[in-house]
Amino acid sequence: MARILVIDDNADLLQMIRMLLEDRGGHTVVLSAEGEDGLAKAMANPPDLAIVDVMMPGMTGYEVCRRLRKEPATANMPIIILTARGQSVDREAALEAGANEHMAKPVTMSELLDRVNDLLATSPQPPTAPSAVQGIVGVLSLRGGVGVTTVAVNLAVLFARRIPGRVCLVDLSPSSGHVALHLGLRPDPNWLPLGALSPGAIDAAINNYLMGHAAGLAVLAAPYVPVIGTGLSRETVAATLNALKKHVGVVVVDLPSVLTEGAAAVVEAADAIVLVTTADPAALQTTLGSLQALKAWSSKIHLALNQIVPGAAPPAEALQRVVKHPFAATVPYESAQVQVVSQGKPLALIAPQSPLVQGIARLAAGLGLVP
Amino acid sequence: MAQNMIKTGRMPVDFFTHSYRISGHVDVRRKTLPDILNDPMTGFLQLEDAYISPIIQPGEITATYAASSIAKDNLTLALVATRDEALSRDQSYGSYAGSYLRKVFLTVPSLEVVGYLRLSARVDMRRLLTSDTEKFIPVLDGRVQASIRQEVVFTGGGVLVNKLHIGAFCLEEEDQ
Repeated sequence: MARILVIDDNADLLQMIRMLLEDRGGHTVVLSAEGEDGLAKAMANPPDLAIVDVMMPGMTGYEVCRRLRKEPATANMPIIILTARGQSVDREAALEAGANEHMAKPVTMSELLDRVNDLLATSPQPPTAPSAVQGIVGVLSLRGGVGVTTVAVNLAVLFARRIPGRVCLVDLSPSSGHVALHLGLRPDPNWLPLGALSPGAIDAAINNYLMGHAAGLAVLAAPYVPVIGTGLSRETVAATLNALKKHVGVVVVDLPSVLTEGAAAVVEAADAIVLVTTADPAALQTTLGSLQALKAWSSKIHLALNQIVPGAAPPAEALQRVVKHPFAATVPYESAQVQVVSQGKPLALIAPQSPLVQGIARLAAGLGLVP
Repeated sequence: MAQNMIKTGRMPVDFFTHSYRISGHVDVRRKTLPDILNDPMTGFLQLEDAYISPIIQPGEITATYAASSIAKDNLTLALVATRDEALSRDQSYGSYAGSYLRKVFLTVPSLEVVGYLRLSARVDMRRLLTSDTEKFIPVLDGRVQASIRQEVVFTGGGVLVNKLHIGAFCLEEEDQ
């Protein structure tokens, strides 16, 4: 039995949902007719799940959702947006605001009850301590253009949906990295000033260079203007990772396509390295070479086959024989990917059921960092 | 099989003007939405809980109002969830009006609409748009697309399109 908060300005609907959840679901239900009151009730006694309408006087359901996500007590709580605004653009808005699900009214009783029970069954337990989940994931390919940033961004968003506010995504590219673009952010601030700090000063300064994203992510962006040289030094990157680990549980690093000193520091410190490849001969050759170069860390390498072009791909089994390393996951082609980059909205946020996101979710599950 | 739906007496509707999406609830009482929109005695429609978004950012709510009036003549279309909500009472359950469906494409300012017209006989396009006394024409199983942002798509069981604002009106050929 769970405790469920329902926020909706329609008194008839509130009573119908109460009857459904109490009589058929066996749950305890707390009702609220408006956003401010609902937030106050959630803060006073955090529920196990919230069902929130969008169109309410005073405060929209999206704002309620955003504020619930900012509070540690409700940051991980499953939220269903139940709304008459049932278009795909509304689903995107709901997920961007931090909801786990978007359901369009009118909804059948069994659909709503099933969704509530599914979310309760799969919702993560609230972390008991900052150290409950901890890890660094480096996402890498030494061949450019294979979709490393797509994998890194969606991986971080998926982690953030499990542990909101406790994930940082770092773009280590010295040549105008695209993480900020994928997230619809302007890369200001970025990591460039960290290079001028002594490693010992980074811990105190790191928060000044992080940006927040509505997905529940902190972002350390790459500078928009490419830097001359290879970017941050090994010592600076190591100090940056140590500083970030004090603030967040998981750090996902989008690595450049050359093994710079900074990239090497991430490879050494990482708990998992996601090596991204595609099925074309050049990428496979580079992957073979990369596996040799990274042989010392082979036990933590998770090879991901990213299908970046439409159409049939060679069988993964055949490709595995070529690279002599098992694929941890295959990420299917998604035609909408180009479009969502231009919109600054990662697929993991707006289309979590897309095959691409499901592929990256399988990869995430295999890393074993976030329950 | 009848589904046990959770819904109440207020009908959620997405209204569109040239530049805005206005979501809200209409108290239809014993009428239907087409009855209200086509009622020549009233120029305005009362909306509860109006939520306003620009058409180019239709997911963002830029303003909310507990009550508002909408000038019916200035609406380009109204989008509803089910077919029945888009049909007037003489067109809905048990009616013989509309025995077959014809696919239609039409444009109104900022939007394109694809869907089906329910017709009772062979249709004269000019008569369809001019002679009928009803200002809003129901398009069933509608897909509404923003003309300047093609990725913005709205779907609904019914779209009530204001004839005054129709630019192009195209019927597909009949199968037989």
